[in-house]
Amino acid sequence: MSREAYVAPTSAFNTGTTVDPGPGLTTQYICGDCNQKVLLKQGDGIRCKECGHRILYKERTKRMVQFEAR
Amino acid sequence: MMEQTQQQTSIETGPQRIRVLPGSNETAASFQFDQEDHTLGNALRFMIMKNPEVELCGYSIPHPSEAKMNLRIQTYEGTTVYDALEKGLDDLMDLCDVVTTTFTDTRDDFAASTGAE
Amino acid sequence: MAPARVSQTELDARKIVGVNAETVTNVSSTDIPGHYPGEDHEWDLEDFRNTFKVKFHKHQPFDCAFSLIGIDASIANAFRRILIAEIPTLAIEYVFVHNNTSIVQDEVLSHRLGLIPLTGNPAGLRWLQQYRKPTDEDPVGSGVQDVNTVVMKLKVECTKADNYDELNKKREDDPRLLYKHAHVYAKDLEFVVSGRQDTFFSGEANQIKPVHPDILLAKMRPGQCIDMEMHCIKGIGADHAKFSPVATASYRLLPTISITKPILGNEAKKFARCFPKGVIGLEEVSRSEAKQKGSGYEGHEGEKKAVVKNTFKDTVSRECLRHPEFEGKVKLGRVRDHFIFMVESTGQYQSDELFLESVSILKEKCASMKRGLAEYTR
Repeated sequence: MSREAYVAPTSAFNTGTTVDPGPGLTTQYICGDCNQKVLLKQGDGIRCKECGHRILYKERTKRMVQFEAR
Repeated sequence: MMEQTQQQTSIETGPQRIRVLPGSNETAASFQFDQEDHTLGNALRFMIMKNPEVELCGYSIPHPSEAKMNLRIQTYEGTTVYDALEKGLDDLMDLCDVVTTTFTDTRDDFAASTGAE
Repeated sequence: MAPARVSQTELDARKIVGVNAETVTNVSSTDIPGHYPGEDHEWDLEDFRNTFKVKFHKHQPFDCAFSLIGIDASIANAFRRILIAEIPTLAIEYVFVHNNTSIVQDEVLSHRLGLIPLTGNPAGLRWLQQYRKPTDEDPVGSGVQDVNTVVMKLKVECTKADNYDELNKKREDDPRLLYKHAHVYAKDLEFVVSGRQDTFFSGEANQIKPVHPDILLAKMRPGQCIDMEMHCIKGIGADHAKFSPVATASYRLLPTISITKPILGNEAKKFARCFPKGVIGLEEVSRSEAKQKGSGYEGHEGEKKAVVKNTFKDTVSRECLRHPEFEGKVKLGRVRDHFIFMVESTGQYQSDELFLESVSILKEKCASMKRGLAEYTR
């Protein structure tokens, strides 16, 4: 298990740079209604593939976050 | 690696420091202890006051946000404040030894007597 | 100067702190040289060794009650303060969250994890050293090593139970039956051995685990999961309360009740009810007592009188001082040098061990100060 050295000075969160997907990569979102996982590319319309709902939630980051148990 | 000059059971809170505050002489001095509070201060004050050569002993904490403790000792002619302070520390250590042995013996007796029932 | 002879009653009276209806009297200890002219109150180790006593009242592994008799308040208080705030104890400090899709926020869950009391092989706990955190002056600190850090992990995922569909049909609503790992408990924490820790912490009994496996940490529903790694280090209660090895450590002074004038008959029964059961007993006035002139018992032979049986159980509520019929007949107080300690451990160390550790830490503070003084005066 790699432990990234993103140790912030205060007991808080990772501040990382946001990842810009670029034209090739797809990012997974979750539909607000049907909880279906939706893959969208850069420039794709924001719409669930199944139910057509236009509210999509982003998944939690895969990055490791460190906290102090205080 | 941690340096250990002797068996240490407590957590180091930083270099322990004593200094003597200005205006002191051989029989009247104020010491400043870093990283100490009422725990050592009151206990040490009691032990030093038990010394008949000591005219005055008191401690204070100048501000609760800072971990500093001032201890003032005034002695009669014949003893220096440093001797009084060292004697106080020695006596307190002896007291701790007596408490440890008495407690351990009593605890063992009690455990044995209740265990035997 | 010839040493003055002090009567035993006078010495005993000096030791009592007076507890009155509205005031507390005779509070400070007066056994210092010079306070009583002609008397010798110099510190004498042999005297102390002979007069100091310890009495045990309760001796369970994590809960013990004992009395220290013949010691000064400043020392007893020093022991109490060290018990609460200065004994190194292991607790979760760093939480590395790989995934947490549960409803409980990362920082809230981390905070809860920090407060879980941990236990493990006592020899191993003694072997663990302090981990010094990297600071500005010392960017490396101790470095994370097997000797100063304990690694644990928590990896739980909530899924539907195998018979979910049939339970659903029966309109079952208990999440513990409908789902697997819906409730995350402290028992789900797993200890991960690193390096030399396997010599101390192998096996079910020895490994680092929570004292109470049933502490609820989080609740989840299917699709949610928690995946985190924790680093535990030794710290002191002064830094954060999670590092305090005692639920609490406290002391009280032994109460005294002295009945100065006779309390008889129904008054005696009322008097006994002013105190917890067992503190005051009722005894019959004997013929010889009734015969004593001036005792107050004349003519009352056979009646019940109030007698002090066992002040240990008294809570000093001063209830008897609220009733005018007992005015002038009773004096309440506490013995200034009799400390009844109660040490309740959270489970990492045993209570008697904790007290001994506290004494040794006080001794070490003195030793460290002595070294500092020697260096300073060199």
